[in-house]
Amino acid sequence: MIALPDRPAAPSLRQRLFGRTPARVPTDRSVVVLRDVTKRYPNGKIALHEVDLVVPEGDFVFLVGPSGAGKSTLIKLLIRDELPTWGEVYVDGQNLARLSRRQVPRVRRKIGIVFQDFKLLPSKSVFENVAFALEVTGVPRRRIRPAVEQVLSLVGLTEQAGQLPSQLSGGEQQRTAIARALVHDPRLIIADEPTGNLDPLISWEILQLLLRINELGVTVVMATHNAEVVTALRRRVVALDEGRIIRDEVGGAYHRED
Amino acid sequence: MIGFVGFSLRRAWQGFWRNAVMSLAATATMILMLLLLSGFWILQTGLNAGLEFVEQKVEVVADIKPSASLNQIRALQAEVQAMREVAAVTYVDPDTALQRFRDQLKAQGRTDITKYLDKNPLNASLEVKLRDPRVFGQVVELLRANTTVVSGVKEVQKLVEQVLTVTGILRTGGAIVLGLVGLTVLFIVINTIRLAVVARAEEIEIMRLVGASDAFIRWPFIFEGAMVGLLGASITLGLVALAGPPLSRFMFDFFRVLPLQFGSLAGQLGALVFGVGVGLGVLGSWVSVRSYLIR
Repeated sequence: MIALPDRPAAPSLRQRLFGRTPARVPTDRSVVVLRDVTKRYPNGKIALHEVDLVVPEGDFVFLVGPSGAGKSTLIKLLIRDELPTWGEVYVDGQNLARLSRRQVPRVRRKIGIVFQDFKLLPSKSVFENVAFALEVTGVPRRRIRPAVEQVLSLVGLTEQAGQLPSQLSGGEQQRTAIARALVHDPRLIIADEPTGNLDPLISWEILQLLLRINELGVTVVMATHNAEVVTALRRRVVALDEGRIIRDEVGGAYHRED
Repeated sequence: MIGFVGFSLRRAWQGFWRNAVMSLAATATMILMLLLLSGFWILQTGLNAGLEFVEQKVEVVADIKPSASLNQIRALQAEVQAMREVAAVTYVDPDTALQRFRDQLKAQGRTDITKYLDKNPLNASLEVKLRDPRVFGQVVELLRANTTVVSGVKEVQKLVEQVLTVTGILRTGGAIVLGLVGLTVLFIVINTIRLAVVARAEEIEIMRLVGASDAFIRWPFIFEGAMVGLLGASITLGLVALAGPPLSRFMFDFFRVLPLQFGSLAGQLGALVFGVGVGLGVLGSWVSVRSYLIR
């Protein structure tokens, strides 16, 4: 549910985004909305330039572009690690710039984040790594075990629950990270180069898992350099270059085709 | 709330032992710093006790006329005793004065020349100990005014000033040194704890990313800092207790007649060490985690 303060800009935005190949009828339930977002870092570098982006609920978006194009900045804005210099960022209808410090954690719980380097705690088992996300957000202990077991079975790691990250393969570590991202039952999964450290076969496994999660109704935004995967899956592709969205097409390939 | 405290304590305990090397390094630093602080604090207390002892040596002595009757002397003694600034008044009769003189000669290893005297040449005197050596004026005035009993009062002003100048410098110096040691301890302990927190920056980052509220990130670290402080303080006090008796014997020998007993300091020292240990542990964790929370 999006509650923009003034609506007039929204229709034209949608027309622009979905005008070409409207594979999906845009609903009112947009999980991510960026309106005219510019991010300028204190050193003067402009990482994003007047970016507009709407991601409806249930969408699966590939974010592509060369290094330094602004993908990481966009992700940082979505998880409110950074605030936009101009423009507005909405996640699940909430203007991130208007959040008080106390509200930020609540919004982050609606977002599951997956990184290239997994970011697992090496001294904790698979189960503990996933349970950690619930423990530190104050979920009562009796509700933790069933929730963790559920997501571990979803990602296929029930057997490995007691192992440490160092005993797992790269793919299994990334599946642990995905389980951790899922355990809060998020509206949105943000994956920043999730297959960057994995070989092609394992990358496909991770993609399959993200697609299955998407089928369950979770919106997925995935930044990637993996051209093969993007081109093969024909999902929505948002291409960034030098801080601008240069292409946004549904069913697109990694590279421009026209 | 109880769940939160339980969670924080559990996480603090886990955090301490899962990062045992850093935690024990921080505890070891804490112990060394607390030992340093207690050492200087004991020295400072000893110094102050010594200075007080010296200051108490300053007294007003009034020589008594041989013609004064015992009743007159007793009356004056009572009058002086009644003054607010007076701690004690001792009447020293001529026999006692002679005996003291003899003891003094003996202590200095000189021959007792008093046996050649046919009668005791010494006068009686009133020795007035003051609560505060600075306030002697009124006492001197009162004694001088009573000319029927008092033949003269020794001029103490210059002596008092000299003694107080020296003790004042020593006292200020001691306080400055203790303050500097305290600052050193503060910075070293806080930095050590910061190192232990920085080593777990990734853990804090993950906590933030999965949506942990600030309190859930902060309090486990604060309890952990308090644990380091408690453990450090306990071990420090244990060490001081072991070293205490020989140390206080040494101090007694060193300062001679110093009325300083280790036992009387134990309570204050315990409060100081536990207060500083836990306080710095908590403060160190607070400022270290804070820098990761503010974005």
